[in-house]
Amino acid sequence: MSTGTALARGIARLNDVARAPRGAERAASRLLSAGASVVASSVLVDSAMEHYRGSFRDPAMVLPIALSAGSLLLNGRETLAPAGPSTLARMVHVTAGAVGSAGLAFHAWNVGKQAGGFRLVNLFYRAPLGAPATLLLTGLIGTMAERLADPAAPRFAAFLRAPRVVGTVAAMGLAGTVAEAGLLHFRGAYHDPAMWLPVSLPPLATLSLLRDVLTLAPRRMTYGLLGATAAMGVIGMAFHAYGVARNMGGWRNWRQNLLAGPPLPAPPSFSGLAVAGIAALRLLKDMRRG
Amino acid sequence: MIDQRHDTLDHTPRCGDGRAPDPLVPAGWLPMREYGEDEVDFVIVGTGAGGAPLAAKLAEQGFSVIAMDAGAFFRPLEDFASDEMHQRKLYWTDDRLVDGDNPLQLGANNSGKAVGGSTIHFAMVSLRFRPEHFASRSKLGYGVDWPIDWREMWRYYEEVERMLHISGPVRYPWGPKRPRYPLRVHPMNAGAQYLARGAKALGIDWTETPIATLSTPIGKAHPCVYRGFCVTGCSTNAKQSALVTWIPRAIRAGAEIRDLAMVGRIETDASGRATGVHYHRADAWHFQKARHVVAAGYAIETPRLLLNSANAAQPDGLANSSGLVGRNLMVQLNQAAWGEVDKEVRAYKGPPSLAISEHWNYTDAGKDYLGGWTYMSQGPLPAQWARTLARTRGLWGQALVDEMNRANHTVGLKMVGEVLPNEANRVTLADETDQYGLRIPRVTFSYSDNEKRMMRHAVAFMKQSLEATGARDTWDQMDDTCHLGGTARMGRNAATSVVDADGRSWDVPNLWVCDGSVFPTVGGVNPSLTIQALACRTADRIGALARRGEL
Repeated sequence: MSTGTALARGIARLNDVARAPRGAERAASRLLSAGASVVASSVLVDSAMEHYRGSFRDPAMVLPIALSAGSLLLNGRETLAPAGPSTLARMVHVTAGAVGSAGLAFHAWNVGKQAGGFRLVNLFYRAPLGAPATLLLTGLIGTMAERLADPAAPRFAAFLRAPRVVGTVAAMGLAGTVAEAGLLHFRGAYHDPAMWLPVSLPPLATLSLLRDVLTLAPRRMTYGLLGATAAMGVIGMAFHAYGVARNMGGWRNWRQNLLAGPPLPAPPSFSGLAVAGIAALRLLKDMRRG
Repeated sequence: MIDQRHDTLDHTPRCGDGRAPDPLVPAGWLPMREYGEDEVDFVIVGTGAGGAPLAAKLAEQGFSVIAMDAGAFFRPLEDFASDEMHQRKLYWTDDRLVDGDNPLQLGANNSGKAVGGSTIHFAMVSLRFRPEHFASRSKLGYGVDWPIDWREMWRYYEEVERMLHISGPVRYPWGPKRPRYPLRVHPMNAGAQYLARGAKALGIDWTETPIATLSTPIGKAHPCVYRGFCVTGCSTNAKQSALVTWIPRAIRAGAEIRDLAMVGRIETDASGRATGVHYHRADAWHFQKARHVVAAGYAIETPRLLLNSANAAQPDGLANSSGLVGRNLMVQLNQAAWGEVDKEVRAYKGPPSLAISEHWNYTDAGKDYLGGWTYMSQGPLPAQWARTLARTRGLWGQALVDEMNRANHTVGLKMVGEVLPNEANRVTLADETDQYGLRIPRVTFSYSDNEKRMMRHAVAFMKQSLEATGARDTWDQMDDTCHLGGTARMGRNAATSVVDADGRSWDVPNLWVCDGSVFPTVGGVNPSLTIQALACRTADRIGALARRGEL
């Protein structure tokens, strides 16, 4: 927890240094871009691997790869060297969100048409519902970052600047990711005790964040829990790498086992969403001050 | 190269010098306690679904245990090839005679010759009996009751399911509530999906099959890679055979395994008690002294051993005062319906039976026969499929080639059906002898009208299911059976059974039977889980009897 707090503070402070005129919003925007970059990387690698496994049977399967790559480039640039709002960025974020939503509908249709419909076996192994939802989150968070970076109080989707909305989106994103980890770790029968971590720590962070959003009062504990969640996302990759090693042939057989084992790019989604949560706290803090 | 190694393995025991192969590690060894020819508490003949759990659980209670198997001790990771013909080394293909109206095909579906027995190449289907099938005489009016209550069996089922990390559905549609299976279901292959769609169309329940292969890594064992070579021996150790589960546990608990040790005769003293076994190993006969002998060689080798152990006082075979040793041989019906669909199915991908319906085990109405059956999706490997087509449909030459070209579009359902006990179906001794000089078994089997009616109903029903999913050119495979049981029946009294509920012989108090031969009835499900549950129970009962001084 204390490591998490320090990490969260560090992430927040990075932005304090580079504070622009509308300090808190610029800082939050940059944090959101950072979060969106991480989530977009996760979607990029995950959709590339999984849709490769699916042999790109439907041409639309390249869309999430293209949009997460675009989102990564634009959000990455905003994180490292903020250039402010742009029509291109806006279009990419909105399209990513739209493709994510369409993907969610398509994946749900794919599951529903299987023998047995929405029974567990299909939720476990068929087109995952959580994956396109993550692309939708990428688009939403990117849009929020872009809105916050625009000082001219634009007409388009102004409500996405609201601290409560940012906080709620981050919390919902975390909750959805917990649900996905919960489902897939249940599929793995929680055979390793570490598999309980993503279904216990992030829910606490999510609840704490939601409480702060409701009370408009960011608390140190929330910073700590979100920071720890961000760290967990990175550590999760190491656990998943170990999981890959436990498949037949281990890492020597990486071409099969990267697909058969636990997905390496999945856990960092937690990190990106936790950073988005920290951005919301930053906005809430400023709102309280203002 | 593989053949050469196989030859070596066939003749040179691996267990000895204080160690046994570690089946989970290439070239690995486990330290193993050895007893020499000193008298041990238990010598167990056979290391399959009956012998292996018994060896582990007796050794854990502090008994000195030697478990012998006529087959080799394999390390699947390095000894198993993806080759149906090579893997025939796992079957018991010694000379036997078969007769009766419906002579059995012995080998793949009903035998195993290896440490781990036939669990090394079983299809991993791990089902519990319907509770009423433990008392079919009093509850359903046929067969004979087991001397054990189903609730007790269900406790042991749970123990075995945990040990084998059975992967199964969260909610099982039939029978009393059962605990959640330890691991989650595997993905269903296309063959399984056809069963599911067919069952839905016919308005009956189906579910993912509870199956003994890992859906997550456990210990040193990898999760299943859906390679599909399950019934020729899993080379990844995802399959939870006795070899990779009970055997290492037995060795760690202090049991000794003797591989390539063929037991030919149980010796008895003047008082009629067993004193040990004569066994053939490394080109010589040896004698192992034991305070108790357990026959766990399955429903042909167990009665054969008892019959071959006849002595002056028991001239009709050991433990045979009832005359029932070898009698009431049961198999299970294994008829199938097949058809062709437009979509590519490739049913051999993954474990062969990933979906199941036990509807006709739990439904008694609408039948013109007694007993229950289940049916499962099927995924035959190519050589086996070619054999089936040649044998069942008489296809040869271009016709066979054409049909094999359609194999990827073939979908099928296969039953596991209850055969009723019948004294005329039996194992006796032939006059011919085998490579050890032992009289070989003669296996006599005929279907009764009841079985013929059951298979007619089952095949028609399965065909209806296939056709409901768009399959065309459907045909029946009527010639297959699987599993064995019943040749040393357990019961409540010495006149009508060979052993009591604990597997203890009525006639020879230190002789036990622990395998599928003790089944009074076989029910309508694959027997491996029940054999292992019974073995666990027998081990507990031996412990309880020992504590009371009744061994």
